[in-house]
Amino acid sequence: MGVYHQLKSLGRALTVTGALVLSTAFLAGGAMAQTMGGDFIVVQGSNPPSLDAMSTSSQASRNINMNIYEPLYGFSEAVTPIPILAETCEISDDGLTYRFPLRKGVKFHNGKEMTAKDVKASLERYRKVGATGNLLDPVESIEITGDYEVTFTMKKATPTFLEAFSSPRAPAVIIPEEDAETEAGKNSFVGTGPYKYVEYVPDSHVKLERFADYSADTRSTGIDGFGGNKTAYFDTVTFRIITEPGAQVAALEAGEVHLLEQIPVPAARRLEGNADIVTYENMPWAFNTFIFNMNVPPSDNPKFREAVQVALNMEEIMGITTEGLFQLDHGWQYAGTTYDAGDIGKEYYNQADADRAKALLKEAGYNGEEFSILTDGNIPGHSKSAIVIAEQLNAIGINAVVNQVDWPTALKIRLQPEGWNGWTLQMGIEPYLGPVGLIATLTGEKPHFIKNDPELDQLYEELISGSTVEARKATFAKIQTRMYEFFGVIKLGNIGLMQASRSNVKGFKPFRFPRVYNVWFED
Amino acid sequence: MIRFVAGRLLSAIPILFVVSLVTFLIIWIVPGDVTAEIAGGDATPAELEAIRQNLGLDRPLLERALAWYGQLLQGDLGHSYLLNRSVSDAVFERLPITLSLAGLSLVIATVIGILLGILAAVRQNTWLDQGAMVTALIGLSVPDFWFGIVMIILFGVFLGWLPTGGYVPITEDFFGWVRSMTLPALTLAFTQMGVIARMTRSSMLDVLNQDFVRTAKAKGMRARTVIFKHALINAMVPIITVVGVITGVLLSGAVVIESVFSLPGVGRLIIGSIQRRDFPIIQGGLLVTAAIFVFVNIIVDVLYVWFDPRVRDDR
Repeated sequence: MGVYHQLKSLGRALTVTGALVLSTAFLAGGAMAQTMGGDFIVVQGSNPPSLDAMSTSSQASRNINMNIYEPLYGFSEAVTPIPILAETCEISDDGLTYRFPLRKGVKFHNGKEMTAKDVKASLERYRKVGATGNLLDPVESIEITGDYEVTFTMKKATPTFLEAFSSPRAPAVIIPEEDAETEAGKNSFVGTGPYKYVEYVPDSHVKLERFADYSADTRSTGIDGFGGNKTAYFDTVTFRIITEPGAQVAALEAGEVHLLEQIPVPAARRLEGNADIVTYENMPWAFNTFIFNMNVPPSDNPKFREAVQVALNMEEIMGITTEGLFQLDHGWQYAGTTYDAGDIGKEYYNQADADRAKALLKEAGYNGEEFSILTDGNIPGHSKSAIVIAEQLNAIGINAVVNQVDWPTALKIRLQPEGWNGWTLQMGIEPYLGPVGLIATLTGEKPHFIKNDPELDQLYEELISGSTVEARKATFAKIQTRMYEFFGVIKLGNIGLMQASRSNVKGFKPFRFPRVYNVWFED
Repeated sequence: MIRFVAGRLLSAIPILFVVSLVTFLIIWIVPGDVTAEIAGGDATPAELEAIRQNLGLDRPLLERALAWYGQLLQGDLGHSYLLNRSVSDAVFERLPITLSLAGLSLVIATVIGILLGILAAVRQNTWLDQGAMVTALIGLSVPDFWFGIVMIILFGVFLGWLPTGGYVPITEDFFGWVRSMTLPALTLAFTQMGVIARMTRSSMLDVLNQDFVRTAKAKGMRARTVIFKHALINAMVPIITVVGVITGVLLSGAVVIESVFSLPGVGRLIIGSIQRRDFPIIQGGLLVTAAIFVFVNIIVDVLYVWFDPRVRDDR
């Protein structure tokens, strides 16, 4: 070998070594940036009604529970089903069998390894106490087909099943077999997530602790929606319950807490120039809607409902409701998502057309009957929307009155077939779940608007039996068309959610719940 | 005296029975139930129905009433729908927080209120009188939630001297407890001391103009002795009445302060339970609170007798 070749080899070796050293240095640098330790204090405004993830679909519970528990399947960041505790899901050609091989070596917080027995027991409990246990209705039986495998046998092919099964609404999480017989809310709060439950002092806090034996899902490099590769950096996480928004903001400014799950928009704008605080805009977060009771006059008349639709000035309603954090959007799925139906119905949205509305009222034969708008004071956006809607409807001659009660009373009244005409509701999780989750609330035995629209019911059946995404997209376009034909519910716009953290909190990405894993304190 | 106290205690039993009955009926008449809280904002009717059945809320009213009174006779206040603990645990673990908040506030309000009242009475129609009464009036007029937020911003955010909220149990850290209770107790006390100050001033003025005070002064007694030993003692009965009433107000006013300062006390528990329709907690919590009110009233009655034996003779 000549000197030239020797030098060339040395150069190549040095290059490779240098590259290795550099890459190691960068990797080490990256790892060093993510420091372990500390107590991360998250603030939310209300108590979790339950820490039994299966039995509640409340956001206040989901915020905490999704850091403790994990399901077999969940949604990715792009809202598609991804395996979390399952390895995968193999669906038979006829759609009647779903085989779920499980990840091995996954530990529960009590130290026990998760096996097929735990999965079957959890899902059987879910059928009984799950707030959305009916999503297992299409499943005939769940069989243990291996130590680390369960198989579902379906009653009939349900193409949208995996999507529904992945729903985080009241998630079908996996808990130890020993908890299978417990009543709703009485389990031991043991899950498989990166943080484990320590204590709950109602009206004060929920404390979680890093689960040292957490079995990270190494199939991905980082977090992805409800799944992905999770790492718990904090020693403990405290979810503090502070009801007063002013006190929440003060605590963040004083540095006593690290993350506000929700911050009033004006306060967030004020803090934008504060170097110690970072604000996050979670947009879109929810639909703002106005639902009609199609069972009683005058809202039983489609022409009357159309008049309301064209009369409303959505920009004004949304601006006042959200204090400026909104999107004008007529669509019944978020723009840019898989099922976005484009411009269908846009010609009816945000018209503020008093003349057309008055003509429609005349056509409807409206004679000044009372139009009672039901709303509640617990969720300020509900009552603000109701008041602006009432004012706008009064301006075109509708005798609109606002009936403001508290939240449990509003829910009680709106289930009654009479006694209300319109109801303001922010839909948070349904639009996120996709068209099936959303339309399910408007069809079936007890639709939001009391009286079914047979055509919508039929389209819902078509939607859930659509075998391909393309087929379902086509059906959803028909659904959006129908929504702007019978006007059972009015889409007012999209609402955003503002969050804020101290600036030394790193890695936090806004999502459907505050993910307290893959987040750390900067040194 | 023992007979007097025993009589008062016995009279509490029918009062508490009526309270429990009225509470039971009212909360079952109020529309809505706990399912709204469990299911979340946009639950479907089917989800709500499933939860209702899980909790047994679909059972007839009489059946639920009998079950509740049956438990109560055995000393069991029931189990919360939401808090994963018994009602007695939920109430009694929070009672020390509310009682210490109300107690601290009462001491601060009474001491400052009486001193302000005495100052205003003995320096009647001077700038001291005017200043004391204006301070008292501001305390009476300012809403406690607003004053609480102002205190948080001033002492928690700008000065950083005290925590903005939260509770540290006295058993964990005494100084932490003092720090966590200072702002709430001061806020609550400030809004109540005005009543005591005004009542003390008025009562003292009545007494200071009486013959025995004039005699005491004429005998050459020191002003301090005349004021505290002779005048104040005789002015105490109306002041005790007001302090008794304020004790109740402080216990109920603690609700707002507990919310503003994120203190997990009984008031916040009951108000939150009403909003969430956690019926067992409402029933049990109100029963315990009513018992405290009755007990405070008995103490006030006993103090009347203590300060003025004529009261006992009149009865």
